Amino acid sequence: MRAVLKNGVAVFTPQGFLDGSSGNALLSIDDIKGTIQQNADMVLVSLKKVIFFNRNGLDSFVKMFLKVRTSNHAAVGFCDIDTKKYNAIIKFYKDNLTFSLFQTQEVATLFASSYKNDTKNVLLYSEDKSQRAAMAIELHDNGHNPIIAQTQKEFDEKIEAENSYDIIIKDTYLGQMGQKVATRVTGNAIIYTISSFLDAEIGNTFNISYHNNSLNVGFRLFIFDAYKVISMNVHALNFFSKLATAGAEYNATICFVGLTFEKTPKEFKEILEDSGIMFFDQMDDILQNKELLKELGASSAANIKSKRSINKGTVTELPSFIEATVSTIEMMTNSKAIKEDVLIKHISIDKKEGKIASSIGFYGDLDGMIILVFPTGIAKRACELLIGEETDDNELILDTLAELVNIVGGKVKTLLGDEHISVDITLPRTYQDIDSLFEIVQNKKGVQVDLAFNDDKFLFFLTR
Amino acid sequence: MITKETIDNFIDKIPPAPDALRETLMHLNLGDLTKAAKSASQDKALNNYLKVLVNKPIYGFRNEVSDVSQIFGILGVNQSQQAVYNYMTMLLSPSKWLLFKLNRVLFYNLQADLSVNWQKILKYLEIKDKDISSAISLLPASIIVSEALFCNKKKDIDILRSVNPIDLNTILKRLTGLDLFDICEQIAKKWNMPESISQILQASSGTKPSNDLELNRLGKWMHLLLFYTLSQPQYIEAELNDFIDFQIEYVNEIYDEFSELMELS
Repeated sequence: MRAVLKNGVAVFTPQGFLDGSSGNALLSIDDIKGTIQQNADMVLVSLKKVIFFNRNGLDSFVKMFLKVRTSNHAAVGFCDIDTKKYNAIIKFYKDNLTFSLFQTQEVATLFASSYKNDTKNVLLYSEDKSQRAAMAIELHDNGHNPIIAQTQKEFDEKIEAENSYDIIIKDTYLGQMGQKVATRVTGNAIIYTISSFLDAEIGNTFNISYHNNSLNVGFRLFIFDAYKVISMNVHALNFFSKLATAGAEYNATICFVGLTFEKTPKEFKEILEDSGIMFFDQMDDILQNKELLKELGASSAANIKSKRSINKGTVTELPSFIEATVSTIEMMTNSKAIKEDVLIKHISIDKKEGKIASSIGFYGDLDGMIILVFPTGIAKRACELLIGEETDDNELILDTLAELVNIVGGKVKTLLGDEHISVDITLPRTYQDIDSLFEIVQNKKGVQVDLAFNDDKFLFFLTR
Repeated sequence: MITKETIDNFIDKIPPAPDALRETLMHLNLGDLTKAAKSASQDKALNNYLKVLVNKPIYGFRNEVSDVSQIFGILGVNQSQQAVYNYMTMLLSPSKWLLFKLNRVLFYNLQADLSVNWQKILKYLEIKDKDISSAISLLPASIIVSEALFCNKKKDIDILRSVNPIDLNTILKRLTGLDLFDICEQIAKKWNMPESISQILQASSGTKPSNDLELNRLGKWMHLLLFYTLSQPQYIEAELNDFIDFQIEYVNEIYDEFSELMELS
């Protein structure tokens, strides 16, 4: 079986009865290799649909956890476990619990290094004091507000306060967490949290593909939260210098916040500054300074000096891109999709109101970005196979639209692969209004294709 | 991807039950095993199927049984009817499986595993109704229907399920308004199967509880039996484990009894 990857978290969902033989059948060597290749920040096995398990059944997944963590430094664990399942696993692995246990998938994603939703107020309790502290630190590093209950009594009392917490954590155990650099998004800036001694290992723990994706989709300000960094050596220095140089092509800015040079050679600061890296004492020195944010390119999601245009190679493969989009929409809506008009131009959208968009980048033998723009009601129809029920939840619709464009990206990859053109796809991105899309593509030329299904019109735009 | 018309075409192409089978079932219905065996012996394929099925190790016969009258005699009316319905379901299976990694032998094994354990459950529940006994034979038809409808869409399904863990039954329901179990019900009608078979099968989907408490209880047992069976390594490798969604809450109340009956440690 394969894990479903979403927002950097890969989730396996086995069903039924999990013993030694079924565990081995569920996970082949290829499945484990595939999981490693997904390069997720967190790998989870949901036990929501498992009614019976024993230690042998879990062992197959635990072995996979070890391999994934060794290769990718990802956080690993089981999720969707009730108290009975939690206690059973604790009992099975009491002396060797190296992975994590999360009450729900939602709780798990709070600890994922690239979790990028809003800051959450989180009430947590564990009998184990060190667990309480570890959870609070991880949550804080990921941009959340942990509130620790020191006793069961305090926890029970705090739970009574309605609407005080976004998420309540119990029956959760943090094993060895992923060593990946924690990542969060604040407005149009991306914040990486780094700590302790920085050496050559930063090349493994920093998710460079996430960083490149972020550049590709328009982020220009990257902040390293370095309050907890003790020192760095020359290998880490080289890493950050190269990162800054590579980002310069996109006019991106890298900042360090809270880094002291007590145990790091002072000349390192000059070298980093020469690479274009800026230093600040406090996070608010940047985030609360609107003028500075504008200057650093974070007033909007894109501020590209070197605008790239669509090229011949990409246009030649246009039929594959349209085919992938049309067949995906047909699959999702069970209706015929029709191509109406094709023009090379700057993106033009008649009425901006009530429309949402999603995009996905691709890179490799070809590079570029596919953008789909839908009226919200039509997006709902296009996604109804995945949503399954009537909803006005805009977040859910945007989330599902991301899945849809991800499917388009997957199909593009397959179709181009058939022509021996190798590309990888980035994470999908969604835009809740057209203005935020325009921040990325307003001045870009590309191929605009008007498409329709059941007389419902939507727009496809291919650019670089 | 799949429309209501696709389903209608599929149902239209299902042949009615052959005469020999209808006669066999009629005699079984009257409890006349001798006449049933005589009718069944006219159909060589049925003879061969019954021989292969009942000689599977799970049936536990020490010596090979080969004669139809002998087979019916050993199985009795209930299990004989169940075996004949299993044969009818098997007739729908493709010569080559494309969506699932199944073959004829593995499919026979699946039928045998389900049938024998269903009998075990009915014995535990002290149910002797032959139609309830036969209800299990229609369950694998849901797998055949999935294969028939999705076999040419495997790539699309794989991409879809790589971003969203959606099962085939839900995909079909959302696309056409009908699910696998609705289609199986239509097959049962076409073959004039007793209505209780369809009702138990619908409840066994786990998503459509029956208003009849007894049928609903049987639906729970069948749903859990299906996932117990599909958790065996050979069926996981055949990619059957997640073709429908396991409704764990639906079966929670009978789990302890099931666990004891199947001697799970």
